[in-house]
Amino acid sequence: MREIRLQNIRKVFENEIVLEGINLTIPSGEFFALLGPSGSGKTTLLRLIAGFEQADGGAIFLGNKNITHVPINERRVNTVFQNYALFPHLNVFDNVAYSLKLKKLKSDVIEQRVIKILKTVHLEKHIYKSISQLSGGQQQRVALARAIVNEPDVLLLDEPLAALDMALREKMLVELIELQDQLKTTFVYVTHDQFEALTVADRMAIMNSDGEIEQVGTPKEIYEFPASSFVATFVGSTNILKGTVCENRKQIEVGELGRFDISVPSDKVWAIDGAQILMSIRPEKIEISKTELAGFANHLTGTVDSIVYHGRSTQYLVLLGDGTILHVFEQNEEHFPHEEIDYDDKVHMYWQKENVVLLEK
Amino acid sequence: MNMKSLRSIINSEKRFFLASPALLWQVLFFYVPIVFIVVVSILKRLDFSFLNNITLAHYSSLLNPMYYKILFRSVRLAFFNSLFCFFIAYPVAYFLAFRVRHLRSLLLFLLTLPFWANFLVQVYAWFAVLERGGFLNTVLLRIGIISEPLHILNTPFAIYLVMLFCYLPFMIMPIYSSLEKIDKDVFEASFDLGATTWQTLRKVIMPLSSSGIRTGFFLVFIPSFGEFVVPALLGGGKQMYFGSLISYFFLETRNVSLGAAFTCLGGSVLIVSVILLYFVLKKVFGPDRV
Repeated sequence: MREIRLQNIRKVFENEIVLEGINLTIPSGEFFALLGPSGSGKTTLLRLIAGFEQADGGAIFLGNKNITHVPINERRVNTVFQNYALFPHLNVFDNVAYSLKLKKLKSDVIEQRVIKILKTVHLEKHIYKSISQLSGGQQQRVALARAIVNEPDVLLLDEPLAALDMALREKMLVELIELQDQLKTTFVYVTHDQFEALTVADRMAIMNSDGEIEQVGTPKEIYEFPASSFVATFVGSTNILKGTVCENRKQIEVGELGRFDISVPSDKVWAIDGAQILMSIRPEKIEISKTELAGFANHLTGTVDSIVYHGRSTQYLVLLGDGTILHVFEQNEEHFPHEEIDYDDKVHMYWQKENVVLLEK
Repeated sequence: MNMKSLRSIINSEKRFFLASPALLWQVLFFYVPIVFIVVVSILKRLDFSFLNNITLAHYSSLLNPMYYKILFRSVRLAFFNSLFCFFIAYPVAYFLAFRVRHLRSLLLFLLTLPFWANFLVQVYAWFAVLERGGFLNTVLLRIGIISEPLHILNTPFAIYLVMLFCYLPFMIMPIYSSLEKIDKDVFEASFDLGATTWQTLRKVIMPLSSSGIRTGFFLVFIPSFGEFVVPALLGGGKQMYFGSLISYFFLETRNVSLGAAFTCLGGSVLIVSVILLYFVLKKVFGPDRV
């Protein structure tokens, strides 16, 4: 069990920079997620750790060992591939036993370890089935078993659940968390799905389309305190308003919408009077009502433009005076809400100044 | 009879009906001639008056070791020709399937180019290359590798060399098409799980292309066994092979029954060799349990 350290990683494909200046430390035993849009280089970063690609600059350490130029087959790192990449000519047992047989272990040791790991992933009933007889979810488990049977220092997972349906995916996510708890192996999980990343990760890194890491943190830190508007909009949805700091850092002036109270954390030194900054307000942090409410620092009015019913919540798009649209989520807590908000209704929106995140860019 | 079974009978008959032209073809031009050869091989005279006309005399005259030497020579030629073809074809097919991107269709087209010329013409073309004052000797003399022209024509080497070139595409094509179907991710998975390049080749790539290898071996082995043009022309007819002896019986000595008997004998040897080859290939390349 060793930590992974990426130092100033750079990767170029056909004159196009895919990764630039990546510095990242993933402590041993952590469930780490790499989250980013397609083309952000997150899979490339994973392939660099696995050894499928060579970095054009920088170094990769596993523990104290520099593995930047160590061949794939000598790294104590295993991968779960997006399309599983199982060996079609081998059955479940032989797929899982592949790495153990390469190490020339005794056959009874191999059998013992393979069966143990197949029990862990709940495949003990399918040991001698051929790969083509398995469902997608079962193949996923074989890929997982094959990658962990050799007890790697790091397990890399490249969008492992992308091919599964929603219900199975949620089930597998829980199982992955349990598995990682059990094994204490470092998991690096690449995904473009924020839900998956937020669910499984101890910590996560958000990568942008230029192949840079925007923020590293726990899911809660990432969601509640995004470091940039990219992170704020990519993880969850949010409302970004542009404004100017004023009144001795107590307020922000947002064009025609007027002034709103803000509280500037001490570390945001750039938020000085006169500075153009962004303000991110999560839709669920806004209270919406047809009647006026008391006890809120900030208030806006608008007209309901559209209503999207999600089941557990309802999303309102509200047209403001200056033409911008504000997203508001409201929990559907009651069968019969005390007030029904309809299209074209005039509504009041409120939020507390503590629930706003100020962003430099 | 209920509707379901009636329909299934109609369906199965429809299937038979659709297959009938191919079946008819096979019966007329494959099974009938085989039966014909077998019948001819046990006739005393070619007048088809049965019963008192049947004899095994042709077969007993084939007990001469000379014939077995010839059959063995053909099996050896077929085996080594397919083996040499395999060793050249596999890297070529691998290269075409995994390393070439833009020129692939052009290269595949070039591979089929020899088929545009008649087989006999291809073989004659080799004369121009291999003869004393031919292309190969001229080039080697010019470069100074040799000081005297090599004697290549009319040797077993010439036979093997030309056979190799003529049959190579039959080995490359099936191997290429089976390699091409392999998902490249399984290579990475193999390396990832600790395999070396050689282990990946032996434990993943070869088993996954074993059907192509098998097809290639059969496509080369079977016709090589019966080959008589190349040994006759480039071997100078000095050594008899299965095919050349058959043509000798039928065309030179006109001993049709003996020729037919020898054909049956050789055919049996071929069937046995192919079955053996199948099991050897399965052992060497087939789904290998790592």
